[in-house]
Amino acid sequence: MSKNLRITNNKFIDQTTKISFKFDGKTLYGFKGDTLASALLANNIHLVGRSFKYHRPRGIMACGSEEPNAIVQVGNDASITEPNTRATEIELYEGLEASSQNCWPSVNFDIGAVNNFFSPLIPAAFYYKTFMWPANFWKLYEYFIRKSAGLGKSPTEPDKDIYDHRYLHCDVLVVGGGISGIMAAKVAAKSNLNTVLIDDKNNLGGTTLFQKNECFKINSFYSNDWLRKEIETLNSLKNLTIKTRTSLAAYHSYNYLLARENLTDHLDLNEKRDKIRQRLWKIRAKKVIIATGAMERPLIFSNNDRPGIMLSSSIKKYIDYYGVKCGQKISLFTNNDSAYETAISLNNSGVIVNSVIDIRNKTNSLIVKQAEKLGIKIYWKSSVVNTSGYKKINSIEFMKLSDDATTVIGKKIKEKCDCLGISGGWTPRVHLFTQSGGKLKFRDVDNVFLPDKSELDQISIGSCNGDFELDDVIKNSVNLTNKFLKINNNDYENLEIISSKEIDKKNIWLLPSDKPLGKTKQFLDFQNDSTANDVKLALREGFKSIEHVKRYTTTGMATDQGKLSNMHALGIIAETAGVKMGELGTTTFRPPYTPLTFGTIVGRNVGEFFDTTRKTPIHEWHVENKAEFENVGQWKRAWYYPIGNENMHEAVQRESKAARDSAGILDASTLGKIDIQGSDASEFLNRIYTNAWSKLEIGKCRYGLMLNEDGMVYDDGVTTRLSENHYLMTTTTGGAANVLSKMEDYLQTEWPELDVYLTSVTDHYGTVSICGPNSKRILTKIIPDLDLSDKEFPHMSFKNALIDNIKCRVMRISFTGEHSYEINIQSSYAKSVWEKCFEAGKEFNITPYGTETMHLLRAEKGFIIAGQDTDGTMTPVDLQMDWIINKKKYDFIGKRSLYRSDTIREDRKQLVGLLTDDPNEILEEGAQIVSETNSQPVEMLGHVTSSYYSPNLNKSIALAVVKNGKKLKGQKMFVPMKDKNISVTITDTVFLDKENKRLNA
Amino acid sequence: MLNFNSPIMDTKEYSEIKISEVEPILKINLRGKSRDFITKIGKELSIIPPTESNTSSGNENLNILWLGPDEWLLYSNNKIDLNNINILENKLFNEISKAKIGSVTNVSDHWIMINLKGKKVFELLASGCPFNFNEFKKTKGSVTQTLLNHIDVIIHNKNINDLNLFVRRSFSNHLWSWIKDSSRFI
Repeated sequence: MSKNLRITNNKFIDQTTKISFKFDGKTLYGFKGDTLASALLANNIHLVGRSFKYHRPRGIMACGSEEPNAIVQVGNDASITEPNTRATEIELYEGLEASSQNCWPSVNFDIGAVNNFFSPLIPAAFYYKTFMWPANFWKLYEYFIRKSAGLGKSPTEPDKDIYDHRYLHCDVLVVGGGISGIMAAKVAAKSNLNTVLIDDKNNLGGTTLFQKNECFKINSFYSNDWLRKEIETLNSLKNLTIKTRTSLAAYHSYNYLLARENLTDHLDLNEKRDKIRQRLWKIRAKKVIIATGAMERPLIFSNNDRPGIMLSSSIKKYIDYYGVKCGQKISLFTNNDSAYETAISLNNSGVIVNSVIDIRNKTNSLIVKQAEKLGIKIYWKSSVVNTSGYKKINSIEFMKLSDDATTVIGKKIKEKCDCLGISGGWTPRVHLFTQSGGKLKFRDVDNVFLPDKSELDQISIGSCNGDFELDDVIKNSVNLTNKFLKINNNDYENLEIISSKEIDKKNIWLLPSDKPLGKTKQFLDFQNDSTANDVKLALREGFKSIEHVKRYTTTGMATDQGKLSNMHALGIIAETAGVKMGELGTTTFRPPYTPLTFGTIVGRNVGEFFDTTRKTPIHEWHVENKAEFENVGQWKRAWYYPIGNENMHEAVQRESKAARDSAGILDASTLGKIDIQGSDASEFLNRIYTNAWSKLEIGKCRYGLMLNEDGMVYDDGVTTRLSENHYLMTTTTGGAANVLSKMEDYLQTEWPELDVYLTSVTDHYGTVSICGPNSKRILTKIIPDLDLSDKEFPHMSFKNALIDNIKCRVMRISFTGEHSYEINIQSSYAKSVWEKCFEAGKEFNITPYGTETMHLLRAEKGFIIAGQDTDGTMTPVDLQMDWIINKKKYDFIGKRSLYRSDTIREDRKQLVGLLTDDPNEILEEGAQIVSETNSQPVEMLGHVTSSYYSPNLNKSIALAVVKNGKKLKGQKMFVPMKDKNISVTITDTVFLDKENKRLNA
Repeated sequence: MLNFNSPIMDTKEYSEIKISEVEPILKINLRGKSRDFITKIGKELSIIPPTESNTSSGNENLNILWLGPDEWLLYSNNKIDLNNINILENKLFNEISKAKIGSVTNVSDHWIMINLKGKKVFELLASGCPFNFNEFKKTKGSVTQTLLNHIDVIIHNKNINDLNLFVRRSFSNHLWSWIKDSSRFI
């Protein structure tokens, strides 16, 4: 560390704790409390990266989130390395490793710098024009463009860090812990309002915290001392929660805000382990007070981007807060009084201030007088016209401005310096206000956009609201807060405030030069390398809207979202186009305010918590028996049960054969189950389903199709009449929640006259389904008292029963076409019943089967799966299920739509069966069906919806939807695949047991 | 005999948080709109179903949670005798469902009850629940139906820092894992 760049009388940095870190492979030292930027500056390192397009050397320019240049890669670990991190926001910790970006082989010698020499050939949007022709070269261009795009390196392995989310609700959220935010938070909390104060820095106070200047005093105290005492009093406020290192990322409607809290980024590597790195706070605030302050603007002149050219206020923070001199001989260039604060701070710390170059005519504000008193040389009505120094500034040239300030005149003065502080005035941070939908207004006197109208319960106070003088900040912040919160706090009345007032204001968006504009480089967007020339070029080429100019030149489109560049771009456009800035408007500020890591956005929703999972009560048995699982909605369903080295096909063939030949057992617990009670339950079902329900006998089951209002199939299932006014409806697994919501919606809004109550019992019952010729024998062993004769217990009926004294319902229904029973029992006993069935079925070689076999078995019978064989465009008629529509019923959901001209068209796509000429050829689900393969374009007649190899039929079978399919039975079609055309014949949808003999076998 | 299997069967203690599955608990869903329904419930249970939203009523044995203008969840305070689990259900079913004044549905296995206890339970909930617990935690007996880690839950404020959380059985394993994981960081 170069000792001469660090002053020792600093209160904010712990100079007793030395910290080592690496930058570009070199070991350096800083102190606890430093940022990477302050530590680098203390080590006399300004050059930290290269610009995006021209690879020009770039240095640290700011001290906060607005930093456009000092963008670094942090860490080497492939799982946690992070690109595009601002050195000004990285708190120094032991073991930190950072490196420059966008340079090769090194930041000091970068091959890409050759771009700078070709810069006249690559103006704004050159790639839009250059790579248009010849059109077929695009693939070649794209390769190189993609290679050169982007900044930094992404991690290549999963992130090892832990992130978290937390919800927070408060009465008042104060964003920004500067002087106005602190006062507002104190006023709110003292009024018994649950208040949260957040600030992105590691301590509160903003710039006032280190403002020790005779020109800024409160009640005879330096403003920093007065504020420090205010901060101390915050700890005693019970209603106040303070969150530092917390940056507000987004401000959405209804006062919903997202903030990122850095919890361990500042800790040493070994202290970070197993702790949450960053937490995303999801905040609902009744009221929001924005006190985000203002950003200093740069000035736009030729070669204003060299390392060592910094914002004046940042130089002040580095010296007053971090105790770091940004140079030994510093010049300042300004259009306002702020630079004089910097000059005085530097002077007080023993740094040579060459001069202050001010574009204004001589002014006599308090702060200027103080600077003059200290002997600081001031050049009035002058402008810097050029700078020198490749990797670090070494001199500036400045000239007098003409009276109308459009040109420079007189002798050019050259001044040696190793740092240039620039101050172009202040831009209120209105980003959050506009993110929330607030509208801005323009104040001409100092060229600022200010918060105007908002639909939300929020205010902006302090310098983000256009108050830049200390006395205005204090007075207006308190008054606005009192009014906003409808309280009358008088803690800050009668304060004696000394505050230097800026008397003269002058602004020139693009400063004149002694050279033609085209011969100079005046950077607007330092990160994206766009210049004033680029903006003017865009205007010459016909772009007028700020949004178009932004995209054409990429001004404001870098990771800093143009925090420093946008205002100047707007100013230059307004001046050039001859329109008022207020009328031009701004570009859209979008969240996040500063970049968020993906980890923060995702939180702990990774790994096992990536998505919610549901398990059946029999799940553990499936796991123990090595089932493979498939996701069905959020459910984990047993897919198939491989034995030994069986693949899915082999397992499914074995399972389906067993189910047909002897007995199979399926966990059907995932089916939706809805308990329906009420004196109008039958009428309700009449209206919900297409078929009739009034005459369904107690103890009987019926299959039903549910339609949407548009007549398309929505869901299906079997409903059982348990008693006179009591039904149990089943739905598809994936449709359960939607069906319940839809039915509840109808009951509440369309049919409130019906006495019907619905209750979901999906999770209450586990369902064990046993099927096959031996299913009756197995059930007899489990429930010996139950008469299972076809007469007493026919297909599509149910019985109440007891298994070991536990109540259950047994339905004789079938989704396989086999003689089947479904045992519904309280979930807590379902696994035990399953095991009992399995044990009882062993002598019959009972075979557990999963969803894949279930699909095959039902396809053999031509049973549809809503959602697989239907896609929201199929009517019951399309499915060849005309029989399920009761035309005599007065109404049911979707009835009217079934008679629309489009739904009665005969050439609609209809469900059919498909058989391949080669019985071993299995079609791909989703494959298209055509009638001929020679014509172009070929007409797609439909597609395959379900396809399997049936071991029971010894051939491949498929279901498909085909245009006019009903009339095409027996006709040949083709399924074109990548390397062949598969010949198929359209058939009936039922492939097995058309007479339903097996149901009663 | 069939074995009774609850999905979690576990208790965990962390710094100022204790979580435990409490099963078997009787849970019955009650629905009805008429005055007769309210009267009948009051008569049978000696508890009047609350009509104010997000509140509950109860006695030493039973609680009734408001779920909607015509819907309540009845649950027992203590674990129940598995041999007599249907007595109350049958009684209510006969008096209400069969009398056509409402519906009574056993949902004992539909919901799993997890007890959350300790000074930091609300911090735990804040890590995955968008609901504003500021007033809720001050009001004994308050009820909310909300999401915790994207999963539907019912939360009943039994006592100071003592909550009963109901989650659908199929989600309970996932939620339990998430709660355990979250508790590490509270």
